[in-house]
This record gives sequence, structure tokens and C-alpha cells, in this order.
Amino acid sequence: MAETENWEPKIVAFLCNWCSYAGADLAGTSRIQYPPNIRVIRVPCSGRINPFFIIASLQHGVDGVVVCGCHPGECHYLTGNYSARRKFALLKDLLEYAGLEEGRVQFSWVSASEGARFARVISEVTKKVAALGPLEKLSKTPH
Amino acid sequence: MPELTSKIREIARNLLEEGRVEMVIGFERGTMPLRRTPCFVRQKGEVGRLIWDSFCENNLAKYLVGRAEPLAIVAKGCDARSIVELIKENQLRREQVIIIGVPCQGMVDWRGVEAGFEGGEVREAEEKDGKLILKGADFEKTLDRDDFLYPSCQTCTHRNPVIYDLLAGELVSEREADPYQDVAEFESRSGEERWGCFTLEFSKCIRCYACRNACPLCYCQECFVDSTHPQWVGKTTNDSDTMAFHLTRAFHLAGRCVDCGACERACPVGVDIRKLNRKLVKDVKERFGYEAGLSLEQVAPLATFKPDDPEEFMVNP
Amino acid sequence: MEAKIINKQEIASLLDRLIRGYEVFAPVNKGDRICFERINSGSEAFLDYQNSRIPPKGLLLPQWEVLFSYHTTPGAVEMEEPPPPERQRLVFGIRPCDARSFTLLDKVFNGECPDPYYVSRRQGTVVVSLGCPKPRATCFCTSVNGGPFSTGGSDLLLVDIGDEYVIQVISDEGARLLEGSGLEDTDENKLALAAGAVRVAEASLEAGVATEGLKEKLDHNFNDPIWQQLTEKCLGCGVCTYLCPTCHCFDIVDEGAGSDGDRIRLWDSCQFPLFTLQASGVNPRPTVRERYRQRIMHKFSHFIDNYGEFGCVGCGRCVTECPVNLDIRQVLFAISQLEGVR
Repeated sequence: MAETENWEPKIVAFLCNWCSYAGADLAGTSRIQYPPNIRVIRVPCSGRINPFFIIASLQHGVDGVVVCGCHPGECHYLTGNYSARRKFALLKDLLEYAGLEEGRVQFSWVSASEGARFARVISEVTKKVAALGPLEKLSKTPH
Repeated sequence: MPELTSKIREIARNLLEEGRVEMVIGFERGTMPLRRTPCFVRQKGEVGRLIWDSFCENNLAKYLVGRAEPLAIVAKGCDARSIVELIKENQLRREQVIIIGVPCQGMVDWRGVEAGFEGGEVREAEEKDGKLILKGADFEKTLDRDDFLYPSCQTCTHRNPVIYDLLAGELVSEREADPYQDVAEFESRSGEERWGCFTLEFSKCIRCYACRNACPLCYCQECFVDSTHPQWVGKTTNDSDTMAFHLTRAFHLAGRCVDCGACERACPVGVDIRKLNRKLVKDVKERFGYEAGLSLEQVAPLATFKPDDPEEFMVNP
Repeated sequence: MEAKIINKQEIASLLDRLIRGYEVFAPVNKGDRICFERINSGSEAFLDYQNSRIPPKGLLLPQWEVLFSYHTTPGAVEMEEPPPPERQRLVFGIRPCDARSFTLLDKVFNGECPDPYYVSRRQGTVVVSLGCPKPRATCFCTSVNGGPFSTGGSDLLLVDIGDEYVIQVISDEGARLLEGSGLEDTDENKLALAAGAVRVAEASLEAGVATEGLKEKLDHNFNDPIWQQLTEKCLGCGVCTYLCPTCHCFDIVDEGAGSDGDRIRLWDSCQFPLFTLQASGVNPRPTVRERYRQRIMHKFSHFIDNYGEFGCVGCGRCVTECPVNLDIRQVLFAISQLEGVR
């Protein structure tokens, strides 16, 4: 199902409830424009993210994944984001080592007050993924 | 290695006689010339079954999880490192197991040896002073055992058990060289080339899960791949699901895998499974200064953190 | 029995001719192992081999296959079945044990309850076997009613007599295969050589495995503590079942998202922990002891109850490829030493 002419990247954004989801909300209420390509999945904490969520997302048709959490020291559950940082570092390295294009899987800190930053993060990620084109590797439904 | 064999038997006999253990887990002769097989000795009269040589390739730490009885285990370098991790993960109490450490000179890849005898079959094998003397129906050949070591043994930097109660032989010298050259070399190739390499390699996979089942650190009651509610991974051998399985399993072993190679040896179709694991072993060392299996005190990397952990990979506009 | 003769050098061109009319599967050398694959030219076939790592059962019962695809719309479901194989298939150069395995799979999948997916593949499949002049030490076909040159399941059987093969014609289908090939009838001398090769091969397997009276002993000793001892080192992986030419358990899953998906049948293994896990959480085969015992009971007792034959062809793959060298022959021997029913 490739709309090759009008292809737009589909990006899943895992946002932690307390910081980055609120930050995304703020971007919205502040009417800050950012690319509409993300599908948001709210999680209680970035540390809740099972690495397999990211692998499964790539398998099932998304072109990119971005995970956002609270800044170090600000996690609502105190240390969840630290765990996420370690897990994510290893996962990103592993996927890219396997040959997945750099830029498809990203991680960032966004706090509840950073609506503008959220928009910048999403813009950067979307631009990168758009440049990479539709995901073929790991996808169960290659275009 | 007859000296190691007699020493192991002596230790096992004493332990069983003194009642310090109910069972000794070791190796005995297999049913083919180049194979040895795990054995579970419970009577002191049976210690004669135990042997030690260059074909004792399985990681016996696999058999320690879920045991209640006091036991002894014959552990080479990598087995001992797996035991360290199992103790740290509370799958085993230190006082429950008497570790009979065996300094290891590497294990021989029996498939590699047999491949050299196209059409012929090895009917008899003898190991003597670093040589393998092999006989078939109409041939005899002597090989250097060092030419046929498993890849994991060729890069091993901890041949001596890091933990033991009794030592069954002289300590051997440890290799100094950088064991991650293969990972660095692979990293230098292009992403397309690497993906192509992996898909080709893992296209051989038949999803038999021998790799998972041979791994001492894969002891989950329900493995993610067996789950049906939810079904995490498809169970067919299509490229996407097979890669997803191996990537996830490798990740589940991050900071836990001791690179023993049991997975590769168990694989019936010769998939280079360690290719993924070794990247994580290297990464964990470089990012978090941790090597699995070396210390009972050091906390596993994914069970802890530092406030200033590296975050160079993050998007920071 | 009708028999032709062919020089080994001519096999490639015979295959080239057959490829025009059939989808031909033959042993292919992958470097570190032999696999059965579709070949596009006769020169790809590699006959100088012991046996393939993965058995050819996948040609009849693939590792995974789509039974049908579905697409749902409000109030309706559209289903699409995959097309049947276009051409007849020819399996060339499989061993007699593997050819026999097809007849055993037939009992399950083409007996009382014919499986349409299996049958459509089986019906169009012609089998040319390659007899074994040098069985491996791990082979035990003669102990399970087979043999290095047995003809069960084959349409033609090749007997190696040096530079040539004697081609024994087993079935009409086999005879039809050779029509127009221009192959000559063999002569008495060559037939004698072939018979000699058969004798030598069979003699090498005389030691065999104790299968006499085995079923009775298995039935009688189901709860014997020896099972714990025999299975203690089993890892519970699926190597033995996946590499077995006669193991045939399967799972059926739906894979899809939203309105589209596939119903897929795929290989399963009685050695996997979830195989008998019930929805209640109860598992009648909770450990490797029960599961490994089940495998032996199935092949050497239940299969006999159901179909009158051993469910094993003695190929030895489970012996060579088990990661811990849990040897089925040792297990059978241990059981045979137990008491039977008085």
C-alpha cells in the first residue's frame, strides 16, 4: 500500500505522561506548528518502554520511532528516565549495527513546559525520516 | 587431557563421599567420536563417567536454575561467568553450588572438524598433546586442535574460571588482544551491507530456539516469543519476525551475555548468532564500563544508572 | 523389476530435461550444509552428500504456509486461498529414509482426514531416491523397517555402482519419468553390482537399535523413574522435531492487523513448553521429562496404534544435531532393558 507519490512518513511517538506528553499538549495549545506525522502513544514513563515496542512498531508499518522522556533528575518516578536512557542507547546502537538507517529511531528529553522544544524535536525527527524514505528493513509489509 | 579428567573425578568422588553435594554435573563421553554430553552423577561409584577434553562444549550453567539440592558443577571459564550472573540475578545461591573450576584451552568445533572429511565419516577420535587423531573407514588424519577452536574460544579473554571452590588444573595464560576487532570491522561497513549480511545470515534460521534453550541466561518461565497473549513476534520464519526475535533476544541479554557461544554451537543450521550479541557486549563495556560475569559485586548495567550516563545519541535541537 | 543405467556425468542433463516439465528439488551445497532447494539447472544438484540438514518434509508440509488471506469489510469477509502448485514437482536425490517419511506423513495427512493443502502438494510430487552405499554410524533405518536401499515412497531408486547409477523403476510414475530419456536398460552384471552394494550397506547397519518388543515396554513403563534420568540433560528446544522427517505437529495462527490478515499454519514442536499448556494454566507436560517421553511414545507406540508402523525412519538427524547429544538410540536401548508385561 505505497502511496509513493504522496508518501508521508508515519512516526510513532512514545511520550511519557508527566513531561513530554504535557509538553506536546503545550505545543498544541500554544498553536505551535509541527509536522503532523506522529502518532502519539502515551506511557506513564519513558522507563516503561519495552524495547520490543520499538521493534514491533518498525515491523508493523511505521517509518520511524521517537521516544521522549523527562529530563534527567525530573522523572516523576525518580529514576525511570535513567533506565530508559541506558536501554535506549543500547537498542539504538544494536538496530543501527544491524543496518537500520541512522535516524529512524530517536530519543529526546522534553519537559512539560517545553512546547516549542517538542515541536523542534518532532520537526527534526520527521525531516530525517522523510529523507530516509519509507522503511523497508524489518517491515512485515514492505512497500 | 587425562590429568584434568582424573582430578575432576577425584574431586567429585570426595564431594559425594563427604556428602557435601547430592550431585555433580559434568561431562561424559557422547555417542559419537567427537561428542561429549552433560552428565549428572549422584553416586560416588559413577564418577568414572566424568571426563574432560576439548569437546566439552556445552555451558553446564544451564542446568543450575531451579535446583534446590546442594550440588557441584564442573565449570570452564565461560560457564563460571554465567554462574556469576545467575547468582547476581538470584537464580542460584552461592552457597548452594560447589564450583569445580577448570582452566580451559578452548573447545573444538566438531562440525568444523567433520566438514574437512567430505563424504567420509570420523569413526574414531583421540586427543593427545594438542593433536586430534581421527580415523575413518579408509583414512587417518592428525589435526592441530588449535586450528579448530570455536570462534568464541578464539576471542576468549577469561579462560580461567573467575569463580571456583576447587580448581581442577593449572591456571592457563589469558589472551591480551582486543577481542572486539570483528565488531569494529563490521561497524566500518555500510548500513546496507550490514543489513544484507544479517538478513542473509538469519534467513537460515528455522526458529527451533536451540540458541535460546542452550543459553544459561535464558531462563524466563515464558519467553516473549512463546507468548500468544499478546503475540509479540510472529512465529513464522519470515525475515521480519526472525530478525525481530534475534534482535530482541540479543537485547534481553544485554549486559548479561558472557559470550560463551553455547547459542552458536546449538544452532543446527550454523547461524552466526553471536554477531549481534558481541556488539552489545562491546557497547556495554564502552558505555558503562561493565563486563558480564566477572564480578559478583558489580551491578548489571541495566539494573543501575549514572546521572551522567552518555547521551550523545539523543536529539537535542 | 525394470532397471535402467545412467552415467553419473549424464545426471545433470537428465535433470535439465526434467526441469522443463517439473519443478525440480534437489540437494544443493550451501557450503556448510546441504539443503533441498528448487534448482533451475541440473548442474546445481549435489549428490555427493550424506544427508540434508533439514529434511525434505518441508516440500509437503512447509515450515509455514498461508491457508487463506482475509479481508473484512462491514458485514462481509472476503477470503482468498493461495493457488495450488502450478506444475508437478520432482524431488530428486533424497535418501530412502526421507522417501519413506513421505509415506508416513501420508498416513496422517492423506488418510481418514485428507488435508487439502498437503494433498495438493503430494499428488503432484514424484520422488527419485538415491540409495545409501555408505550409511552413517548414526543411521538406523533397518531397525525401523527401512533400509539403505528401501523403495517405500520412491518412484525411482538410484543405486551407486561407481561411475554409474542403476535406476530401479519402482512405480508407473517413475517409468513415465524416464520415457523419452533414451536411457538404456541395465545388464545382469550391473544388477549384480547393485545387489552387492545393497548387501554391503545393509550389513553395515546390522548392529541397529533395539526395537523388537519396544512398544510393549514403552507402554508398560510410562511412569518408570528412568525417564527422569534419561531426559535430565534435554534442553527442551525444537531441533529434534524440526529436523525429523516424520515429525508433523503444527500450529495455526492468525496474523493480521485491522481488517486484513492471513491464517497461517506453521511447524510446532511437542518439545516447546507451551505445546500442551491449557487455557486454565494447567500443563499436563510441564517439564522436559514429560515432553521428551511423549516424543518417544508417539513415534514408537502411539503411531503404531494409529497407523501400524513406527513413526521414525532412522535417519539419525536428531542424533547428530541434538545440542547435548541426547541420543534416541540410547533412550530406546534403556527402555528395551526394562521389564515388559509378563
